[in-house]
Amino acid sequence: MPRFLHTADWQIGRQYERFGPEDGSVLAEARLGTVEKIAEIATEKSVDAVLVAGDVFDAQTVSDRTIRRLFMAMRGFNGPWIMIPGNHDAALSESVWTRAQRLDAIPVNVHVVVVPEIVLFHELGLAILPAPLTQRHTYHDLTAWFDHVETPPGLLRIGIAHGSVQGVLAEDIDSANPIAADRAVSARLDYLALGDWHGCKRIDQRTWYSGTPEQDRFKSNGAGQILEVQIDLAGAEPSVTPIPVGQFPWLQWHRTLEVDSDLDLLINELREVNRPSVLSLVLTGQVDLAGEQGLSQVLSEAGALHRHLESDLTGLRLFPTDDDIAALHADGYLGEVIEELRIAQQQGATETGRDALVILSSLLRARQDGGEAA
Amino acid sequence: MKLTRLRINQFRQFRVPLEIPEFRPGLNLFCGPNESGKSTIAGAIRAAFFERHRSSSVDDLRPWGDSGAAPEVELDFECDGQPWRLKKRFLTRKRCDLNIGGEVLSGDEAEDRLARMFGYQQPAKGASKPAFWGIPGLLWVEQGTGHDLRAPVAFAGEHIKSVLAATLGEVASTGGDDILQRVESELNELVTAKTDRPKGRFKEYGDKAEQLKTDLAALDLRIETYRQQVDRLGELSQRQAKEQAERPWEALREQQQRAEGRYQEVQQLSERQAQDQMALERCRNHLQVVLDRLQGFQLQASELLQRDQAKRVVQARLDDFLAQQNAVKGALQSADSLYKQARETDRLSRLAQRRRELQQQKREMEGRRTHLTQSLIQARALEKDLSREEAALAECCLDEVQLKVLERLSESQRDLSITQQSVATLLRFDLEPGQHIDLDGVRLEGQGEKRLLQGSDIHVHGVGRLHVSPGGKDLHELARQLEYATERLSAALAAAGTGSIEQARERAEATRSLQSTLSANRKLLALHAPQGGPALEQELTVTAQLLGKVDEQLEAIGDLDSSNLPDPQMAEQTMEHAATRLAEAERAERQLREQLIQNQQALNHAHEEYLNAQASLAKPERRQQEEQCHSTLASLRVEQAQLTQAIAQRALLIDEARPDILLQDIKRYQSSASQLELANRQRSDELVGLQAQLQAQDAEGLEERRAQRAAEFENWSRRHQQLERRTRALKLLAGLLTDKRQALTRQLQAPLQKHLNHYLQLLFPQAVLEVDEHLVPGQLVRLNQESGDFDALSFGAREQMGLISRLAYADLLKEAGRPTLIILDDALVHSDQHRFAQMKRILFDASQRHQVLLFTCHPDNWLDMGVPMREIHSYH
Repeated sequence: MPRFLHTADWQIGRQYERFGPEDGSVLAEARLGTVEKIAEIATEKSVDAVLVAGDVFDAQTVSDRTIRRLFMAMRGFNGPWIMIPGNHDAALSESVWTRAQRLDAIPVNVHVVVVPEIVLFHELGLAILPAPLTQRHTYHDLTAWFDHVETPPGLLRIGIAHGSVQGVLAEDIDSANPIAADRAVSARLDYLALGDWHGCKRIDQRTWYSGTPEQDRFKSNGAGQILEVQIDLAGAEPSVTPIPVGQFPWLQWHRTLEVDSDLDLLINELREVNRPSVLSLVLTGQVDLAGEQGLSQVLSEAGALHRHLESDLTGLRLFPTDDDIAALHADGYLGEVIEELRIAQQQGATETGRDALVILSSLLRARQDGGEAA
Repeated sequence: MKLTRLRINQFRQFRVPLEIPEFRPGLNLFCGPNESGKSTIAGAIRAAFFERHRSSSVDDLRPWGDSGAAPEVELDFECDGQPWRLKKRFLTRKRCDLNIGGEVLSGDEAEDRLARMFGYQQPAKGASKPAFWGIPGLLWVEQGTGHDLRAPVAFAGEHIKSVLAATLGEVASTGGDDILQRVESELNELVTAKTDRPKGRFKEYGDKAEQLKTDLAALDLRIETYRQQVDRLGELSQRQAKEQAERPWEALREQQQRAEGRYQEVQQLSERQAQDQMALERCRNHLQVVLDRLQGFQLQASELLQRDQAKRVVQARLDDFLAQQNAVKGALQSADSLYKQARETDRLSRLAQRRRELQQQKREMEGRRTHLTQSLIQARALEKDLSREEAALAECCLDEVQLKVLERLSESQRDLSITQQSVATLLRFDLEPGQHIDLDGVRLEGQGEKRLLQGSDIHVHGVGRLHVSPGGKDLHELARQLEYATERLSAALAAAGTGSIEQARERAEATRSLQSTLSANRKLLALHAPQGGPALEQELTVTAQLLGKVDEQLEAIGDLDSSNLPDPQMAEQTMEHAATRLAEAERAERQLREQLIQNQQALNHAHEEYLNAQASLAKPERRQQEEQCHSTLASLRVEQAQLTQAIAQRALLIDEARPDILLQDIKRYQSSASQLELANRQRSDELVGLQAQLQAQDAEGLEERRAQRAAEFENWSRRHQQLERRTRALKLLAGLLTDKRQALTRQLQAPLQKHLNHYLQLLFPQAVLEVDEHLVPGQLVRLNQESGDFDALSFGAREQMGLISRLAYADLLKEAGRPTLIILDDALVHSDQHRFAQMKRILFDASQRHQVLLFTCHPDNWLDMGVPMREIHSYH
């Protein structure tokens, strides 16, 4: 009763441009950590093999160091790793794979399948039907040949492919490299391990996208997992179990602040996220000066706690209350300036006006603090 | 504020105490000569306020040379409704005591209180400086500094504004300027103040982002190239593998060899063809030589005939010319004789013409002579008549003028006599028959009348005498005039040689008739002899002489029969015609002669040539040679025909094989094969090269690097955007703050402007002195004058504007409830009389509201200020 892990879309070498070099490189590093963790789990669970359904690397031209580091990260599992190239790391005449070979970085237990031919693992009881990508994009179904190929009896027919299952996934995600939705049936496969879709998704009982083991975008349901697949005998329904491995969840919140309690709610919500995450916060509505101060404080704390925090306050108006203004002791023409900015905020604020108000109130507060201290 | 008492001791030139026991509420005038201590008093007031009592840098307050002195100032004044007493002692036993309505302060506390009250600063250490003097520094004018306003206003500015702000209440702002300054300084850290260009961090981030963007673009380009190279590599490997299996160049090589075999066959045919062609060429050349010789022989015979012909032609021409010779000579002779005849006719016809002209002249002159003779006779008769008539005229001459004088005299005499008759007393009488009266002894009877021109006696017999006197004195006057007129008339008549006026008229008539006759005769004479008789005679003589000469010429010509002669013009034409004909005949003759000579020479030459040709044709070996040539010609023709046929047949064979195309085929197959091989080799080189290149680039991890760069770019551009946002916000804030502050300043300016104008109108009606945002007077705008900046005004005007401005500030401060004391040390010394008078009015007006201390060394200038002039001297 063979048992293996199904994973895909490691995207090793991916950089997170929007998070800057500091946070980005940590997130890039985390992907290698996750591979280490997969090896650990494979060993721990003594699985027969690990299948990687494409996009192991994020790009063809990653550094030599990155290539070596990946294969080192895989050393934690001595059993066979069976992987195919995806669209990001297609087996072109010169590719990340030819380089890995030249570097002699690929351990013997790692089988990189770059030609669409059956690979038999008699001792494991597996016949692997691979559909490696040899071009960046194809527009015909690379798994079509699965239907017409025979395998030795007694071996499980395991397909492994990278692309979009037709008619199931959203159009905007790598819709090239099509895969027929009923391939598992038509090719009499015991299991079809798919890659390319970063969320974890079941297509039918024998066909699964494992998703990426480390989340790398806000919109991907069930990302951060691998699949443990057990098939008792040929033709039996596989039992598929997701195992979470990801380090950093990606959260995207959109909150509207209207009354003081909204801010308190948000603050609580933020404090409840106890795992370091990648957090995107879009705030709209309005706050008063005190609220603004509190919000800055909380955002600053959250920024320190989480792997990355990005907040978009463009839609948040700053509306000082009369008490705020009184507290600032802004008399004379300063008071007039504040009033003018406040009215502008009321009439549909510009970001600039809000910033100006924040600067002015902070200057006034600083002066006040300075004055009191002196 | 009102100063009430001042006492100073051991202070500069006052070694003994000086006390001014009381000051007036308004203007206080103090006078004294130079160095009498005016400035010392003002100085003492300054020291009392500005200098710290414990300062050790105020040695100059001591009397000169007295190092032990303790300068002392004591001031009493009222302020805020309280009496204030300030006592200050410097340098020795330093003290400062201030008593405010019973509240006692001393030392620094007292000094700080004063500074706050009056709006100035105490020096932290050392002597006070103008920058600390604040409001008093503005209102207390030192000698000779009244024209300088900018610096004192600047030093007082903050104090004035805070004072004014208090009066304006909410609009002012505590520390607003500070905030504005901080906003501006933060903005200045981000952008340059003048050009609004990013600087510092802002610029650095922007530059970095820009640099990274460029790097990214370069990397993108490299990645794209890399990808293209990978594609090329795939394509090339595929093609190379296919070609290595098929080896297409070998098939081409076989085709090349086949073409080469065929080409060799054709080559041999061509060689034989070339040989035959050479033989044919030789045969043809020989044939030509033989033909040329035969032609030479024929040519010699025909040449002899030509020579004979030529000789004959020349001979015939010569004969022609000889035949013409006589005719040409005859023509020449006849032309010559005709010409001579025409010339004689021409001469005669001209002579006849001359004769006719002379005869005509003679006739004209004879006519003239006759005419002149008749005129002379008539002229002589007329001259006789004229002299006779002139004599008669001289005798009876009385012209119209003389007659008019006489007429006028006679007329006036008659008028007078009529007038006399009309004014005379008329005595009309109708006497009884038989009766008479005597009038001046003349007996009057019957009826009648008498005009009495003078007193007359009428004697009536039996009655007595009546004396009648005509009325008026005119009668006598008239009688005298009449008498005079009569005398003048008689005299005139006598002068004219006549007895009466009628006679005179007759004579005048006779004169007129004589004159007209005379005039007619004179005109007649002028007609006959315009230049007079002698000239007429002279002309007659000349005419006779000319006639004589004409006769002589006629005689010289003599008789001539002119009936057959043509007129001279015709004769001349005929002669010219004959001359032309003659010239033509001469030329014809000359030409003929020349041609004769030429033809004779040509004939000789032609004859010689004919003889030469005859000789060469007659040579014996010539015939033999000609026969030999004919036989050679026949054999050569046969050879030529054989060769030509062989060549034509072989050419057909060669043409069909197309050796040129065969050559092209060989070349084509050869180069195709080698090119294929070369391309194969090159491709294999390119493959190796590409692989090497790609592997080299692989090591660089291009896409990973690009992603890292992109992250950096994102980072810097985000920071740059943050700063950009901040810049925008700061700009907005700075703009708002500046606007509001300016609005506030304008509010502060308004009252100052009001006070300034209040005074200014007295000096320059309708003028405006503008105030800038620092409350410093700027432009002075006067009616009908160019506006000028304060600093550009004359010294005197600046002094006047300076004082006006200070008074305006004082008014403003007074309104804000602040103490105002004005001290003027020698004011307005540079003003002209008119301005000075106006300034005094202004000063007097101000002294109604403020206490003013004015020190002067020209007391006479200030006598009209309505207050006593106090001499410093009197307070010693």
